[in-house]
Amino acid sequence: MDPYLYLDRDTPVHRLDPRAKMFLLLGAFVLAFLFPDPLYGLGVLGLVLCFGHAARSLANLRRIWFILAMIAVMTVLLWSVFGGGRTPLLWFVELEPVLYGLGTALRIDNTIIAGMIFLSTTRNEEIATGLVRLGIPYRFAFAVSTALRLVPTIIATGSTIGQAQRSRGLDLDSGGVIQRVRKRIPLLVPVFVSTIRSTSVFSMALESKGFGAAPRRTYFLQLSVRRGDVVAMAVMAVLVAGAVALRLAGYGGVEGFSR
Amino acid sequence: MREVFTMWRHTQMVVLVALTAAIYAATLIPTQFLPIIPGFTNVRPANVFPFVFGLLFGPAGAWGAAVGNLINDFFGTLGLGSIGGFVGNFFLGFLPYKMWSSFFRRGEDIEPNLASRKKLVVFLAIVVLASAVCAVWIAWWNDLLGFVPFAALAAVITVNNALAGLVLGPIFMVLLYPRIRRWGLLWTEIMEPEEVSASRLRLLGNVLMWVGGLGGLIVGLAIGLGLYEQGFAAAGFAAGGAGGLGIGLGLLPFLALIVVASFLLGGREQVEAARRAPRRVR
Amino acid sequence: MEPAVSIEGLGYRYRGRERPALRGVDLEVAGGEFVVVMGHSGAGKSTLCAALNGLVPRFFRGSMEGEVRIRGRPTRGRRVGELAREVGLVFQDFEAQLFSTNVELEVAFGLENFAVEREKMRERVREALRMVRLEGFERRQPATLSGGQKQRLAIASVLAMEPPILCLDEPTTDLDPAGKQEIFEITGELRKREDMTLIVVEHETEETLDADRIVVLREGEILADRPARELLRDVRLLEGARVMPLQVPRFFGGRGLGREELPLTPSEGVQEFRRRGWRIDPRRHGELLEEDRARERGYGEPLIEAEGLAHRYPNGVAALEGVDLTVRRGEFLAVLGQNGSGKTTLVKHFNGLLEPSEGSVRVGGEDTREQGLLGLGQRVGYVFQNPDHQIFSDTVFDEVAFGPRIRGLGDGEVRERVEEALAAVGLEGFEEEDPFGLTKGERQRVAVASVLSVRPEVLILDEPTTGLDYAEQRSMMELVRRLNEAGSTIIVVTHAMWVVAEYAHRAVVMRDGRPVLSGSVREVFARERELRAAALRPPHIVSMSNALGHTALSVEELSRITEG
Repeated sequence: MDPYLYLDRDTPVHRLDPRAKMFLLLGAFVLAFLFPDPLYGLGVLGLVLCFGHAARSLANLRRIWFILAMIAVMTVLLWSVFGGGRTPLLWFVELEPVLYGLGTALRIDNTIIAGMIFLSTTRNEEIATGLVRLGIPYRFAFAVSTALRLVPTIIATGSTIGQAQRSRGLDLDSGGVIQRVRKRIPLLVPVFVSTIRSTSVFSMALESKGFGAAPRRTYFLQLSVRRGDVVAMAVMAVLVAGAVALRLAGYGGVEGFSR
Repeated sequence: MREVFTMWRHTQMVVLVALTAAIYAATLIPTQFLPIIPGFTNVRPANVFPFVFGLLFGPAGAWGAAVGNLINDFFGTLGLGSIGGFVGNFFLGFLPYKMWSSFFRRGEDIEPNLASRKKLVVFLAIVVLASAVCAVWIAWWNDLLGFVPFAALAAVITVNNALAGLVLGPIFMVLLYPRIRRWGLLWTEIMEPEEVSASRLRLLGNVLMWVGGLGGLIVGLAIGLGLYEQGFAAAGFAAGGAGGLGIGLGLLPFLALIVVASFLLGGREQVEAARRAPRRVR
Repeated sequence: MEPAVSIEGLGYRYRGRERPALRGVDLEVAGGEFVVVMGHSGAGKSTLCAALNGLVPRFFRGSMEGEVRIRGRPTRGRRVGELAREVGLVFQDFEAQLFSTNVELEVAFGLENFAVEREKMRERVREALRMVRLEGFERRQPATLSGGQKQRLAIASVLAMEPPILCLDEPTTDLDPAGKQEIFEITGELRKREDMTLIVVEHETEETLDADRIVVLREGEILADRPARELLRDVRLLEGARVMPLQVPRFFGGRGLGREELPLTPSEGVQEFRRRGWRIDPRRHGELLEEDRARERGYGEPLIEAEGLAHRYPNGVAALEGVDLTVRRGEFLAVLGQNGSGKTTLVKHFNGLLEPSEGSVRVGGEDTREQGLLGLGQRVGYVFQNPDHQIFSDTVFDEVAFGPRIRGLGDGEVRERVEEALAAVGLEGFEEEDPFGLTKGERQRVAVASVLSVRPEVLILDEPTTGLDYAEQRSMMELVRRLNEAGSTIIVVTHAMWVVAEYAHRAVVMRDGRPVLSGSVREVFARERELRAAALRPPHIVSMSNALGHTALSVEELSRITEG
């Protein structure tokens, strides 16, 4: 079972250097974040979806649509309750917080879709190497990339453990909250133990292959920033600058909203 | 905070970061069993892990919790909010080991297990505080972004983490400590005393952390709920934008206290104690 | 010429342990030699390997005596990373050694650590993959590889650094027969290289025939260090060291031949057998067959019936096709096959973990789909392969009590069942022990006990002997036999062929999701060609007897039916 979102396709986005993609992701975050007005939010959504289409990553929306929907619903509800505004709608709910809620739902969902596109087009090892080239210390990037690699293995182990315990009669679905939490013990403890057990062998294997042996390290994966990367980053920079200017000029907010 | 960086010299600590992160990320997945704020947070038994990771593996547990939460976001919810999740979960794993020895006097047994009633009480207290600190960071960040109101998120995250930690924490510690110790993987046995910050004013650090964490939570809730009532009672009032910045700025002092406390608390005494303890011979 | 490895008076005690892991070890290995190290669990084999590249003493906290010299230079004071250029170490647990996101990166890891330039790296990676026959796998994720492929990958990742000394610590223990074969082929090729010294820790005695020398460790000391063929003839020494001796010399030794005359392989054995004019008495062989049949008549009613069973994964791949199988009360069935042949998928239908996509499975006369896991678990107990996947309590008692407790039995009843189960597995008195403080063999027994305490009628054991040394394996299988004689129906999933030969009554061989052979063990093992097609080989003594025309399943049986 592969929990990751990466889709192995060949698109211009896939071919971008991971560092450029990280820059684009950051830019997308800023763009998405700037405008609480739902209309602007829709605009950003359109941009993001177009980009996603170019990256042929929209298939992954199928996997996260439920989260996106739940977030949207809850965000609107929460802000309608917690926020204040000028124009009463019904009961104690005013119009502005609902608009704000809608706009914020779009903001959050947009950042998540942008994140999804990034992950759909970037392999785990590219992420790790990109981080290193950006100056993140190697050992940290190593821990992150190893963790990424290990998650599916642990899920598989967890599934085996689940079967073993269910064979012994463990029924996970009954009982109240606290009971159900306690029933996780026969699952979580063996997962923890059998994984942590391998720490020693793992560490020994790393050292046996020279981990930390030399002060300098070379990299098998080649990363090079090309013209396409520079162009993409420049475009994003312009977009972000433009958006910031727009926001500072007062556009894209929700008038009359207060929290 | 020194050990947070020096730990990376030790291969076993690096591996522990990777493994704990992977365990956390993996066990958070089958988690749709009681959504509280759907899309934002569910009842997560796996939330017990950061407390346990932190106490047993020290800084490796803190990094592991942070990275693990981030990776879990890779499965579908990677967004701006993930930054808050990273920092919040880091503190969830950081507080257990950092605050541990500040509850004990010099000379008392400070092995990271729950061998006495006092230790159990300390552990439970840390669970509550760490849950609050984690919640404050995450809810503050999300509120600052204007994504989710502080009050809703903070309360839920605190309860969520605390529930898992209080119910499962002691059992896990009892089950896991002896094995981790036998395998020589306690952080106090891997790291050297010089690599860990010395405790300068650990009692003060302890107190400041409580003020920062619980204080931040309570004040944040007050601001969040208070303004709500204000808006409710004064429907139609053109309340200024001050409300939004209320949480963002209002909580800064508390966050600062948390950070200062992190520097004041030490931890070196735990590693020194481990060096002195006689090894159990089999 | 400086020996590649020179060890003098090596002793090592891990911190916190009373007994030293190694004591007074003297060993010399010349360049280009192929040395096999054997010994029981805990004899110090892994410690010896770790001493070669400096993990002992630097990684562990313990005290070391004596000296280890690699190509003339002592290891003391040198870092593991530095020694890694000269000594490559591959561990038994291949899962724990692989951590990269694809094959290429995994192999390049060591080279990256040594700051090799990219062009050179690519060359060495290609070469290493070629040596282990994994060309074409460069972009694959390690998690998608088979066990044998993963282990080969681990070897490649070490070979890429081109160390003149290569040490493999139990490389085949967790692999299925096909995987083992792949590794042996590679070691076979590596040993031909003059520039490579090969040290392999191995349990499979049958595969040590090619070694130059065999070193036997016992309780941390070297018991013997002799040329391979000479040592393999010393059956008594091997048995005394709790290492499984070869069956052919054991047979001939039992019939009075002197040590120097003992043949080692089945073909040598057949030759010697005929040379001495011995023959197999068909009448006595007929007695064996009659005993088999009488036993079969003693079986009870069918407990498990599979009809037209097929199972498909969600992605459409068929794991099982057209399986018809009946297991009767009192039987001892072995399910054989490679990893991926469907053997585990098959037995998981018997306790309800999996449901058929087509066909049906009935347990005790009722369809499994109508019974819940709890009810089925009462009739059919399943002991998983890795005991660490189910143990979570902090005492043996609580662990074994889990099954009865969760079924709501009262304290008194629970206590009775736990005591009974522990007695059955030979762990009386262990109630208060921490399961994780026990040896692997003991933990395996705890796992069996925790299933027995539910008193199931059928017991399914998944690879019960993997990871155990010879003495522990015998001990485990004797326990299983006692359970069977006491009335339990046993199903064992395994690829340890000698275990099947000596303990199981019936066998089913799975291949690509279908049963390709089934019948009494004697019938199945007679068909060597078909077994080979399923990547299985019968034990040496069985092969030998097959060549002589009458299938015997153990040394004792062959002795019984031989005349002359």
